[in-house]
Order: sequence, then structure tokens, then C-alpha cells
Amino acid sequence: MIESPIKDEQKVFVTGNEVIAWAALAAEADIMYGYPITPQNEIMHYWTRLAPKYGKKFLQTEDELSAGFTTLGGILAGRKAFSATAGPGTILFQESISMAEMMRIPMVVVVQQRGGPSTATVIYSQQEVNMVTFGGNGEGWRVVYSTSTHQELYDYTIKAFNTAWKYRFPTFILGDGYQAKMRESLVMYKPSARGIELVKPYTVLGGPGVPGRDRLAVHLRNTFSVEEELYEAVMPAQEEYEQMAVEVVEHDSQHTEGAEIIIIAHGVVSRAAIAAMNRLRNKGIKAGYFRPITLRPFPEQELRKAAGHCSNFLLVESALGQLARLVKEALFNVPVERFDTIYKPGVGITAEELVEAIEKNRKVEH
Amino acid sequence: MCLQEAYVGEYASGKSENAINRALSLVGGGQPVTLVDLDLVEPFYTLRPLRDELSAKGLDVIAWQTRETLGLGEAGSILLPQARWALKREGHVILDVGYGVHGTRSFNLLEGYGESGLQVLAVVNAARPMTASVPDIVDYLRSFEHIDGLINNSHLGDDTDLDIIHRGVEIVSEVSRILGVPVAATSVDERFRDSFGDCDQRGNPVRFLHRYMPHAFW
Repeated sequence: MIESPIKDEQKVFVTGNEVIAWAALAAEADIMYGYPITPQNEIMHYWTRLAPKYGKKFLQTEDELSAGFTTLGGILAGRKAFSATAGPGTILFQESISMAEMMRIPMVVVVQQRGGPSTATVIYSQQEVNMVTFGGNGEGWRVVYSTSTHQELYDYTIKAFNTAWKYRFPTFILGDGYQAKMRESLVMYKPSARGIELVKPYTVLGGPGVPGRDRLAVHLRNTFSVEEELYEAVMPAQEEYEQMAVEVVEHDSQHTEGAEIIIIAHGVVSRAAIAAMNRLRNKGIKAGYFRPITLRPFPEQELRKAAGHCSNFLLVESALGQLARLVKEALFNVPVERFDTIYKPGVGITAEELVEAIEKNRKVEH
Repeated sequence: MCLQEAYVGEYASGKSENAINRALSLVGGGQPVTLVDLDLVEPFYTLRPLRDELSAKGLDVIAWQTRETLGLGEAGSILLPQARWALKREGHVILDVGYGVHGTRSFNLLEGYGESGLQVLAVVNAARPMTASVPDIVDYLRSFEHIDGLINNSHLGDDTDLDIIHRGVEIVSEVSRILGVPVAATSVDERFRDSFGDCDQRGNPVRFLHRYMPHAFW
């Protein structure tokens, strides 16, 4: 028995990519499949440095199509398998992710968003929201956790494996190049020490005995002969997705009650949103903040509730309206007084610019 | 006597911060000081955002300007031509060498490397999980071809306390004993200036760091 890599709680100084490798170990992942792409490379680098010490495995595939499908293969064989990618890699992953949706395969993929479209830039953006939430040919049966700190990268990577194996929908950690490369402290812990029970993986294909004689045959399908047959398969899965949604949806909000303006952001940008909110409140401006943690399923009811307190919004993201699309859908039919946006595809957003934008708008109004 | 030093070590161990501070500490001594970004994987995300600020402080900075080149990421990058000749410059030359062991393999791209007196200093942060214990650090440093000195740079960013610095001193001193490589310095965030004299508890010189890297926006 190889001893656990993480014993007592330990405070460490790390980059975000390293966090993923350590968290996957803590979550008792068995194998990572992957193909190199910036800015997620160090997830693979650190996993391959750690894996041999703890009896874990790694396979570098020939591209991301293969990385996606080998991950599915590993999972069907009963291994906790995961992968990580970004940008053009996330495009190639869509086919295997769609298969995971249809066959209900508990795939875990970490996406460290980089600039787009195409090869674009190698470090930062929030332009993979569309692709990660609804990128496949289907209905977006995915769970997407958008993280904002190294501690969240650790906590939600552990949670992602549990969500995937419990509900059997593909589950994502949506980070970005800044989170990947950024350095800050982290408390590593063993999930059991915090009362987190890890969902055990199980073999789907290739179990012991002869199928049909010793056990039931497993018949996974992603192909249906006629449209009615597809309809009969899709509708119950949609129902299960909706049932799960209530249990997994997460958001964070502060001071939305009594706010005169609510800043909406997700991921690393929400750090700027919180800082801006605090600075504005120190100046006597009643700012609030709302952040979806799960982008799929989206915390629709929670946002609509916040909009009941204040219908004046500033939405900020490092993309041209990808978060805004999800937010507008969630707010359908809710009266909104004002919906300002700051869209900066590929570029970071600071608390200073948010404070300045809100103060400028107030001056115009008064 | 002019210094030629290269700061190497584990990814995110604090090489750039130590190289910048070392270079700035030499400014004003009557000799020109050159700081070279020798990161061939991600040169655009270390010294680049600080280039103008550091030049204004009197450093001659050899680093790509964003618009002069392409970000090739995992495909690597092109050596800035001036960097190739950096060791032939007059005055002090400080090299910030990216990407761990692989980074040091770029030394052969430097003209005059073989006959230079380049001092290779390995920066170690014992709060990094891969280099948290004596055996792990020893194993890691043995993968380098050559090291002249160790820099104990143990910290937890904003959460640093005296305990982690002192623990780092003990760990790195033990590594020094095993490898037979001296501890060149313990580097400490300048906010701990009042807690240290010229030396740490093991008698190693202390260098105080002003943190420039948080301005690099990541």
C-alpha cells in the first residue's frame, strides 16, 4: 500500500496548475490522459512528477481527440481518470465530451482558458464559457465549476470527481491562464479529514465473468436508429439533469439586499468585483456582488432573487458577452432597470477600473 | 569586481524576484548592471511587464517587448539576440533563468559561457510542496549540472510568517551540508526587516526583497 501523498493539513505556496495535480491526488484519481497545451502544461508536468511516487499513471496521447476518448476508456474500465486542456484543445475535446453526456460517463476535465478564437494567445481569457457550457451537439448536460482562487481550485477539483461519479455527467473545472500561473498560498488537506467522502469508481465495461451468463451485459449507446428512440433516451436524461441541478448549483453573493448596483462576474474576475465592491462600500456607495460558481447548471433562481432586491447591474468579463448570455437567459422576464457591461476579451480586469466605471455612471445620473 | 550570476531553480521558486532585487542592489556602485530574461518558454510573463519600471531604476534590461515577438508558449521562443552576448557585457550581469532544470540547458546559447565565472545560484522555497523536505530538495538540485550556491527563499506570499522563514533556513542549511554547496543568502520580504539583522539564525547573509512580481498581473 503506497502511503497517501497528503497527510496532515499543510499550507504551501503554489501555482494553480500544481494545485490541480495535488488535488487530483487527494481525490484519489488513478490516471491522467493528456496532450500538451499552454496554459495547462504544468498540470501534466506536476502530475507526471508525482504519479510514479504514488502508483498513479499518465498517458500522453497524440492529440486532444485521443486524450478525450482515452479518458472515457479509462473511466469505463473503472478508473478515476481525468484530463486537462485549453483553447483549441477544448474544441477537439467536444466530441468525447458529447459522448460522455450521452453515455453518462463521469469525465472530469480541467480547462484553463486561453485567448480565442483559434490559437490566439497562450495565457488568459474567459472566452471558453460558451464552449465548456454548451459546446457539444446536444443540450449541455455538463457541470461547470468556475473557480477564482487556488483554494477553490483544490476544493472544487476534489468536488468535481465526486459530482461526476455521483451523477454521471461530465464535470469541468473552469480556470484560466492567470489562475494556472498565479502563485498564492493554499491549504492542502486529505478529504476524509474534512468529512468529505470520496465517491468510489466502479467498472462499467470489462467486469468479471461472461456477459449474459454471469452478469447482465452492458450496452452503452450513443447511437439511435430512429428519432423517437432518441427522444425516449434524451427526455429522462434531461429530467435527471434537472434533478441534479438543484443539488449541485452554487453561487456566491454579498450585499445584494439593499444594493444600488450589483457587480456580476465569474472566475478570477470576481476577485476584482469583490475588491471593487468593498472599496465602493467604504466610500458609502451601496455596491453588491453576484457570482455564479456553477456556470452549468446556472444559479438562475438565486440571481432572480438578487434582481428582486436591485435591478441595476454591471456585468464584467474577459470575453465579449459569454457570461452575459447565461445571465440574460436566467433573468428572462425579470424587469431590469440598467444592465451595463465591461467586456475585455483576453485582458485582465482590475478593481480600479470597476470602481472608476461605477463612479462615472453615478456622476452622469446625478 | 563585477558579478555574473544566474538565478535558477524550481518553477515559481522566486528566481525572478531574487534576480531583480539582486540587480537593483548593484545599481549605483559605479558599474553598469544588466538584467537578462533567459526564460525561453514564457519570456513574456515574467520580466516583460516590469521592463520599463526596472529600466527607469537604472537597470539595463534584456527582455522581449511584447510586440516585438510572438508568444509561442509550449513551442518555446526565440532567444533575444542581445541575450546571447550578455556575458560579454561590461559591469554586473544577472540572469533570470526560467523553467527549472530545462532552463539551465540554455546556458550553452550564451557566448563565452565556458570561460565565464558565472555563479549559478539555486533559489529554494521550502513552502513549495515539491521542495518541502530535505530529501526532495537534494534530489531536485542533483538534477542540475552545476550549482555554486543556494538561496533560501522560503515564503508563503502574503501569508508568510517568521516560522516558515526559520524553517526554510534549517532545511536549506541541511541541504547545503549534504550537497557541499554553500548557502549564498536567505532572502526575506522587506516587511520582516525588523525581525532580522544581517544574518539568519545559521549565520547566512540576509537579503531583503522588495516584491516586484505581484505587479506582473498574475
